[in-house]
Amino acid sequence: MDKSDIIASPNRLVWGGLLALALAAPALVGFDLYMIHVGITISFNVALATSLWMIWSLGVISFAHAGFMGIGAYASALVLTKLGLSMWYGLWIGAAVSALFAMLIAVPLMRTRAVYFFMASWAVGEVIKRNFAYFKSFFGGWDGIFDIKPPVLDLGFLQIDFANRIAYYYLALFFVSLTVWIIYRMNASRTGTIWWAIHENELLAQHTGINVFRQKVVCFTIACTLVGVTGALYAHYQTYISPKSFDIWKSEFALVHLIVGGLTTVGGPVAGAISLTMVDEALRATGYFRTIFFGVVLIASVLLLPGGLETVPARIRKLFNRNSQK
Amino acid sequence: MSDFLQMGLTGLSLGLMYALIAIGLTLIFGVMRIIQYAHGEMFMLGAFALYYWHAELGLPYWAGVAFSAGLIFCLGAVLQVVLFKPLQGKNILYSLAVSLGLVLIISGSGQLLFGTTTKGIPSAVSGGMLIGGAYLSYERIVISAVSIGLIIALWAFLRHSVTGFAIRAVAEDPQTAALQGIRTDRVHWIAFGIGSAMAAIAGCMMGTLLSIVPTMGFLATIKAFMIVIMGGLGSVIGALVGGLILGMIDSVITTTISGDIAIILSFVVIFLILVFRPSGLFGQNWD
Repeated sequence: MDKSDIIASPNRLVWGGLLALALAAPALVGFDLYMIHVGITISFNVALATSLWMIWSLGVISFAHAGFMGIGAYASALVLTKLGLSMWYGLWIGAAVSALFAMLIAVPLMRTRAVYFFMASWAVGEVIKRNFAYFKSFFGGWDGIFDIKPPVLDLGFLQIDFANRIAYYYLALFFVSLTVWIIYRMNASRTGTIWWAIHENELLAQHTGINVFRQKVVCFTIACTLVGVTGALYAHYQTYISPKSFDIWKSEFALVHLIVGGLTTVGGPVAGAISLTMVDEALRATGYFRTIFFGVVLIASVLLLPGGLETVPARIRKLFNRNSQK
Repeated sequence: MSDFLQMGLTGLSLGLMYALIAIGLTLIFGVMRIIQYAHGEMFMLGAFALYYWHAELGLPYWAGVAFSAGLIFCLGAVLQVVLFKPLQGKNILYSLAVSLGLVLIISGSGQLLFGTTTKGIPSAVSGGMLIGGAYLSYERIVISAVSIGLIIALWAFLRHSVTGFAIRAVAEDPQTAALQGIRTDRVHWIAFGIGSAMAAIAGCMMGTLLSIVPTMGFLATIKAFMIVIMGGLGSVIGALVGGLILGMIDSVITTTISGDIAIILSFVVIFLILVFRPSGLFGQNWD
């Protein structure tokens, strides 16, 4: 986990290129609606994986992450269906509710450590999901909430209806870029360094005067706020949510994206989420083979490419260096 | 009164079966420090092995249980050597990812090979008796007896046999154990095989009691993890106590209130246990 080389090589060119590609993507696929749907799914997965990676910078993985995405989604959806407020309010209310719950739950949750944290957070995620399912009259039970309308942006001279997929793609892209940028900046800041210090050695971090417990709660809350926004966006894109959308598998797939992509830089989860979502969509037509292939890809990438996709550039560089020395 | 006795008896037999799955998992974690997320799939494969042996081929029941246990023992040992050995000493997340991949592969191919319709295994014994107004089928008695017998056998094996000593030594401190001349690799695949075989036997028992489907492994994994976390990872006693607690919650709350509340409540109980005892009831502090 050498953090110094993350700061030393910002790879601005790569990030800029990725953003340009993402901006041009709808035109490149000829405004094909299915491909744009894939693009939006990729955006959500990137946001989920990067914010999970932010919790990983403390040295733990939260299985409650999809649950907090669900809190954001349900808050935003209920604000629309019960109060009639559009997504522009729902986004922030979803984020606030998600942050509030995250902060309340983080206080007891952060007492547990290492492998017990996975399981305690998993219990939190399950309880969140089961509560959505159990309180039928309020959350709609297993049937979920229907008819969550996407918003309309009225600029006076211009009206953008986000029921249009291309418009929604750019909206999702905007928020995802914002999420990744916030996480990147936080990680490069002093606070990020403190989190990595806790990751490396909690006891030592405490002895250098870091309030470990407070830092943990703060980091968890920020990550859950970001994923709450993603959840609200997800709800208004799908227009339908149910407890099943936010179960343990979503958190697990985010973890898989993280591991396949790499764990040391923010580029890891981004690369992992983009590539694996594409693989998953490409295999969609194959039915049961889809899950089998996905499992094979996962095991193969863990065993054959330790360190994940983020180590690929370094590996290629090493290959060329070795050749030139000969 | 008889209602409570009925619930208690059901909870006890359910809890013992849960404990059987969970002890295999806790053994695997304790020895190798890996998360075996595909443990429930071993349970599922064990049940299907018995189904094909007993219901399709018509071969004797108890031989089928032994066959299923042996088969899953070999499968577990092979999986350990091929997939989990390279991950030894790495972050626990990698073993989680690999076993997650295994879950996808096994349950996906299970649905492909076995079909998605529910199947049942005819039970070995029938009939039942009344105890103080509560009905107890002989099947449940046999299942509970098998569970108790296996748990005692495992305990005796770990306490008194040479291999059992080796397993405990590796669980305690792998490096020192290796220095004493214990072949840790061999201990690893043996422990993995035994853990998986216990899940398979639990699958055989569950298969006669309920119906079997290729997707049932996931629920078993969830239950096993809940129990193991409650009792403390790596602790056999903890798994037994955790299994009984979960069995009782499942039985009593499902009958008196509802199944959804039983699940929510058991997760809340686990969360509270972890908050007040961050390493589970009988666990050590793993880092």
